[in-house]
Amino acid sequence: MKTPMIFTAIALAGLVGLIPLAAYSAHDDVPDPAQIARGAKAWAQQCGRCHNIRSPSELTDEEWLVSTTHMRVRGNIPGNVIRDIQAFLRSSNKKE
Amino acid sequence: MTHSRKLFSAVSLIVFVAALAALPTDSAWPQEPTNKQLLERIETLESELRNLRDLLLTNMKTAEQAREKAAVAEVKAIEATKAAHELEKQTAYPSIPDTIWHLAGYASAGAEFRTKANEWDFGGVQFNPGFHFQYKDLIIFEAELEMEIEADGETEFELEYSQFDILLHDYATLVVGKYLSPIGQFKERLHPSWINKFSNAPAGFGHDGAQPDSEVGVQLRGGIPIGERSTLTYVLALGNGPRMGHEGNAEFEGFGGDDNKNKAFGGRIAFLPMPYLEIGGSFWKGKLDGIEGPGELLPTSAYAKVWGVDGAFTRNAFDVRFEYLKNTRGPINSFDEDHGEVEMLEKLSLEAWYAQIAYRLPQFGNASFTEKLEPVFRYGEFRVKGSHHLEEQAHKRYNIGLNYWLAPSAVARVGLEIRRFFEEEIQNETLVQLQVAYGF
Repeated sequence: MKTPMIFTAIALAGLVGLIPLAAYSAHDDVPDPAQIARGAKAWAQQCGRCHNIRSPSELTDEEWLVSTTHMRVRGNIPGNVIRDIQAFLRSSNKKE
Repeated sequence: MTHSRKLFSAVSLIVFVAALAALPTDSAWPQEPTNKQLLERIETLESELRNLRDLLLTNMKTAEQAREKAAVAEVKAIEATKAAHELEKQTAYPSIPDTIWHLAGYASAGAEFRTKANEWDFGGVQFNPGFHFQYKDLIIFEAELEMEIEADGETEFELEYSQFDILLHDYATLVVGKYLSPIGQFKERLHPSWINKFSNAPAGFGHDGAQPDSEVGVQLRGGIPIGERSTLTYVLALGNGPRMGHEGNAEFEGFGGDDNKNKAFGGRIAFLPMPYLEIGGSFWKGKLDGIEGPGELLPTSAYAKVWGVDGAFTRNAFDVRFEYLKNTRGPINSFDEDHGEVEMLEKLSLEAWYAQIAYRLPQFGNASFTEKLEPVFRYGEFRVKGSHHLEEQAHKRYNIGLNYWLAPSAVARVGLEIRRFFEEEIQNETLVQLQVAYGF
């Protein structure tokens, strides 16, 4: 019973002690240039930790949003860094 | 009087008389206007003034109307600009719905030549579709199926993982379901065939190896930035835990139920001082029960523990990794298939490690295809103590290969694998491996 209690305490700290359920839905915002620049750098750094860097044109904006959220969890990448990467990808796939 | 004074007086008198003579007569002065004339002039002036006033009013009215039209035009212009901007935004950045999904995954196929059997086979046919469904930045459900054709023609079908990821905030995610083991790097992040640098797992990192496969339970995980460039990542996990395998080892294969009241607990913590350098440490501990069977002994329980360290350097054309894991299971009474009854099994120790380097070649002259080539080398060992069956599998392994990247996530590879078994009676083996893999 000891380990579940420890885990429960830690999980509660994560749920209550920190900012809970920050449901960002800023996907429709037009990314600003500074965010795009940060995202381009993070894109190269974070993806290359495990595999080759793929072209932004390989997927649509929607697919990238899901894919990068998946990578946020798998790669333990902070949420703000993922939003920068998403801004970069949306900007890269922007229709002129 | 002097003579000059008389002369001056005479001249002055003459000039004065001449000037009087030059003055006009009474009839030459202008006549005074009459009252009538003055009235006419006043009327004329008043008329002109009225006309001017009317003209001024008309001009003022016209100016006011122009101003009103200009204001309306300005509002319309602003609205038109906004509409154009919105249209441009919608065209350039299409709106994203709240629920979005993505079909991902990977597939591979290949061939292998084995010197021991002196035969080669087509094989390694594998298809792993992955499904990702996301609602806003709140929750994502992800699952991966594994379908693989076995040598006997059967298709092995398995749910690799199926988990809900609840995004608590930027630095924490709660995971619930069946998840890949977070212990070490290989299983969770490197095993997909298009990411793995070789066509198989390192020695001791596959089935019945030292690395746990998956778990059913919960995780709290995330990454915390430290300064501008560093990050601390963590995974804390709780699950049903391992069960006794038929080889006497603890199997960590995501069991959907617990065989005892004890839950397994562990995780991994890693530090990235720079984005391209990662050093991690893992720990996992769980209790398992012996398998029941005939015999004088009763099954007992034991703890299985896994700990390890790993590291990765991924910068420019280099991809360098190492990983070490030690997996132990304490002495336990459990059913032994060889003897057909419950036996006292000694402590089992599995130790696996590998070091791997991959280098993406640059362009040589005009030969741009060299940029797609990636020579790779890996050395690893799998050591076993405490299980005769598993000791037969203990070996050190040399892998050398060449990857040709058709695309960033599509590769054709050839590799040579040399296995040197620690048991002297086990014949060494060399394999030639060919594989095509694609991540999508």
